[in-house]
Amino acid sequence: MKKILPSLLIAFLLIHFASCEKDDICVDGDTPLIVVGFYDIEDTTVFKDVPSIRIRAIDNDQILSDSDAFRFSDRTNSPDSLSIPLQISTGSTQFEFISDSADDEDTGEETGNIDQLTVNYSIREEFVSRACGFVAQFDDLTITLPESAENWIQDINVVQQTVENSNNIHVKIFH
Amino acid sequence: MSKYFISLLIFSIGFSAIGQDEPIDLQPKDTVEYKQEYGLRVGIDLNRPLFTFLDEDYTGFEIVGDYRLTQKLYIAGELGNEEKTQTEDLGGTPLYNYTTSGSYLKLGVDMNTYENWFGMNNAITIGGRYSYATFSQTLNEYSIYEGNRFFNPTALLPGALPGEEFSGLNASWLEFVVGLKAELFANIYIGMSARLGFLITNSEAERFPNLWIPGFNRITDGSNFGVSYNYTISYLIPFYKKSKKKKEVPAESQ
Repeated sequence: MKKILPSLLIAFLLIHFASCEKDDICVDGDTPLIVVGFYDIEDTTVFKDVPSIRIRAIDNDQILSDSDAFRFSDRTNSPDSLSIPLQISTGSTQFEFISDSADDEDTGEETGNIDQLTVNYSIREEFVSRACGFVAQFDDLTITLPESAENWIQDINVVQQTVENSNNIHVKIFH
Repeated sequence: MSKYFISLLIFSIGFSAIGQDEPIDLQPKDTVEYKQEYGLRVGIDLNRPLFTFLDEDYTGFEIVGDYRLTQKLYIAGELGNEEKTQTEDLGGTPLYNYTTSGSYLKLGVDMNTYENWFGMNNAITIGGRYSYATFSQTLNEYSIYEGNRFFNPTALLPGALPGEEFSGLNASWLEFVVGLKAELFANIYIGMSARLGFLITNSEAERFPNLWIPGFNRITDGSNFGVSYNYTISYLIPFYKKSKKKKEVPAESQ
């Protein structure tokens, strides 16, 4: 019996150590947001702010207002770049990018310049880690803007078609 | 006639001297030797059937065996089959649910480090195994994790391909085993062992890695080590008996 007790102790210690592991916490990954940078059409290497920007998602008719997640505040001058989420239930998401956004004092209607962008992509499910499970990543990113003389957006350049993280700019908007 | 008697006497003295040739051993050795049983010991793991009964997400069994080669050395092995369904969640939200199912074989040696008292047959062993498992993993259902819940505020969106099976997986590992066995009744032993596995090969699907291997147990991210244990009851089928070799061989006097 004296010999059994130390062995039992070793066994329980091994099981004990096995039960606390670093992979119980999800820190490794997330479904990325696409990062959009705003550049000057005159000098395409220089950032240019969009005055009083507002972005509205058409699919769920919601305004992107979470300034922590999207890195801009609604109806303020845009930062150099900001993040927007994509739908993972379908391979297409539509946004209204509004410049000089404001409400008409009488009617409450939007008076800014509205450009409607359609983002198309294919969704790839990716297993990140035990704790995070699956996230979505995006391939073949394209953005279309209907041609119009009133567009404030002059040109769009998708610099990274594959979106696996939100660390750098994927889309450049020139205005 | 009398001179014949004298001759006969002298003659028989010679005989009696021959009769006394073998010296009388005043300290006779104990010739009763304890012979130890050698044979094949087979048994089953008690832990796995117990959890099969208790845990509805688990079924499994394991057959264990060893064959005694020398005083201390045994060839030992385990053969088992396990199926386990597990769910990973994030703060109560289920992320994914998967079932692993397969068989494994472990072969190696055990060395008894325990000096038994007279007549006892217990063992404290250290040993090693080479283990191989073939198995499949089925991703029953899963969700796509999104830290930002702008489009899906209430629930995570389910994945596109639930129920996908990843088959033909295999893994091999080396195992360090610490165990003990005690003879409960004649030829019936109970035992337990703790095992530390070191994964050598692990073939896994690109889409869904192996998170649990039958016989190896849970795989940890960024580590090759796994821990498992068993509790066994086994029966020794005796083949022959052999006494323990004396350590100091006394020099034979004749």
